[in-house]
Amino acid sequence: MKFLLTTLRTALRNILRNRMRTLLTMLGIIIGVAAVIIMVSVGKGAEADINQRIGALGSNVLMVRPGGSSSHGVRLGADSWQSLKLKDIDALKKHCTQIAAVSGLVRANGQFVANGTNWPTNMEGANVEYFEIRQLKLSSGSFFTERDVRTSRKVAVIGATIAQEVFGDSDPVGQQFRFGKQPMTVVGVLASRGQSGMGGDQDDIVIAPITTVFFRIAGDSHLNQIIASANSREVMAAAQEEMTTVLRKEHKVRGENDDFSIRNQSDILEAATSMSRTLTMLLSAIAAVSLLVGGIGIMNIMLVSVTERTREIGIRMALGARGIDILLQFLIEAVVLCSLGGLAGIALALSACKVLEQTVGMNTILDITTILFAFGFSAMVGVFFGFYPARKAAGLNPIDALRYE
Amino acid sequence: MSSIIQMHRLSKVYSLGESQVHALRSVDLTIHQGEFVAIMGPSGSGKSTLMNIIGCLDQPTAGEYHLQGQRVDRMRRSELADIRAATIGFVFQGFNLLSRTSALENVEIPTQYLRRRKLTESPRSRAIEALQRVGLQDRMHHVPSQLSGGQQQRVAIARSLVNQPSLLLADEPTGNLDSTTSEEIMDVFHNLNAQGITVVMVTHEQDIAQHAKRILVVRDGIIVSDTAVVK
Ligand SMILES: Nc1ncnc2c1ncn2[C@@H]1O[C@H](COP(=O)(O)OP(=O)(O)O)[C@@H](O)[C@H]1O
Ligand SMILES: [Mg+2]
Repeated sequence: MKFLLTTLRTALRNILRNRMRTLLTMLGIIIGVAAVIIMVSVGKGAEADINQRIGALGSNVLMVRPGGSSSHGVRLGADSWQSLKLKDIDALKKHCTQIAAVSGLVRANGQFVANGTNWPTNMEGANVEYFEIRQLKLSSGSFFTERDVRTSRKVAVIGATIAQEVFGDSDPVGQQFRFGKQPMTVVGVLASRGQSGMGGDQDDIVIAPITTVFFRIAGDSHLNQIIASANSREVMAAAQEEMTTVLRKEHKVRGENDDFSIRNQSDILEAATSMSRTLTMLLSAIAAVSLLVGGIGIMNIMLVSVTERTREIGIRMALGARGIDILLQFLIEAVVLCSLGGLAGIALALSACKVLEQTVGMNTILDITTILFAFGFSAMVGVFFGFYPARKAAGLNPIDALRYE
Repeated sequence: MSSIIQMHRLSKVYSLGESQVHALRSVDLTIHQGEFVAIMGPSGSGKSTLMNIIGCLDQPTAGEYHLQGQRVDRMRRSELADIRAATIGFVFQGFNLLSRTSALENVEIPTQYLRRRKLTESPRSRAIEALQRVGLQDRMHHVPSQLSGGQQQRVAIARSLVNQPSLLLADEPTGNLDSTTSEEIMDVFHNLNAQGITVVMVTHEQDIAQHAKRILVVRDGIIVSDTAVVK
């Protein structure tokens, strides 16, 4: 212990003696460590973004769209785009055991008019289950009810953007508005969900009972989409299979020529996650290579140091140092050098991540494990690249070393 | 008187490719505890080679060497290092102090390599004491470049004493010093010898050798004369 402390002090003194050289040598490690941490942080940030999108969608969500998948290369007739009907929802509700909730979805564009303001927006017609599936929350008022859907009541839940833009600071709940020609009443305001992954404003929305949109606004009777949630993430595949069977029977589809396609949104996002993960790994690997190059720089400077200090090594040996003492001295010096570089690299990475977040708005996640790992790795680089020069020093013959000019 | 150094038919041969240099040829030598020995001889006669083997810095190619009753000529490198740390103090012609390192820290160096024997006092106080013994207590925090040659050599002597060795080896300790300073260094050696430390030094100056109690003359790797000094 005492010995280690003395050696550590000697190492620090030798490092401080050649400040400029030390700094230049450490630069490789600093950049390498910083690059690794930044890459991992940016990658983790991107992954978290994607995961958040999955969460926003509801993780068990299955989506049925009209029209077959084009995977067979067959373009289906135009009427297949109108294949989804209201009765499909009842059938799915009745026959599927693996789905927790199912809702139809129709969209209509129009002007949201109230308070003397015209606000062009999207109206979504949905069943009450839609709120559950999309995990929507209210900031005030209430959702519309099953009864509202049955009776096609002229009520709607609006998003935070519309609430702000049209009603300002006053509470929109209970207020009248027109959508197209239809006068309606606001019953609830959704809690803000911010930007979607694709950059759209998720709060610029009006949700009304599906029947209201069908019969009073859109005027036709095919669904744009059916959205369902499986009982759990594990039964997604089973749920998807069930839905396919039910819909095929319902649509009297023969063979594989489905006039609908079911997409499993979390699969797509999982693929995106794994892609971003692969990218992160690739970038981190490149960063690790720069750390390796930094390590080679350390090895180089340690070899120079051993040569420069041959006489010192001889003196220490004459005074009783064993080979292992000399080895440890140089090894510790290399490790200290790399660790200091690692610390500086961590500091650099911390500030770089701050800058990335504040200027580019990039989400970065810097956790303690990454930092500890990078620090440990830089110390390992010190051990690895310091070992050869240290062993060379330890193997010197004391007499030759003493005579070295 | 018990012997501290006992050499029997000791040889050292350097091989330089084809040719061989016989630096020591079957040397027999016994030195007792408390002696003060000077080794003389022309340049290249094998004095340094002998000193290096005595000091366990080098190994003989043939023969036996007992140091304090221990046979050391077959020992491993690390064992020799431990003996150097605990038993032997070295003083060199060129001082061999670490530059940009204070006198005190230079003197402290050997303390970190002492493993076998534990001394009761702390390294720091032993180093201060050693510097006091050579009269440099007021130069402790000077670095070598701030010290005269004689002072540097005294720091080197203090360093050789810090682990309380029983044998002090000096290879031309006054080679780089003027005669007045050389006399001072010899006074230090006298005092140490009087305190019971065995001193062996190489010199080519007759008047320096006269400070010893016994003079060996080496020529071509052979001890050609061994005389006691009459005062
Ligand atoms: N490492 C070595 N390799 C080859 N020859 C050496 C080596 N060291 C010393 N010698 C030779 O051994 C002989 C004795 O050298 P040395 O002991 O240094 O003499 P001295 O100290 O008496 O001047 C010389 O001829 C020298 O050239
Ligand atoms: Mg010599």
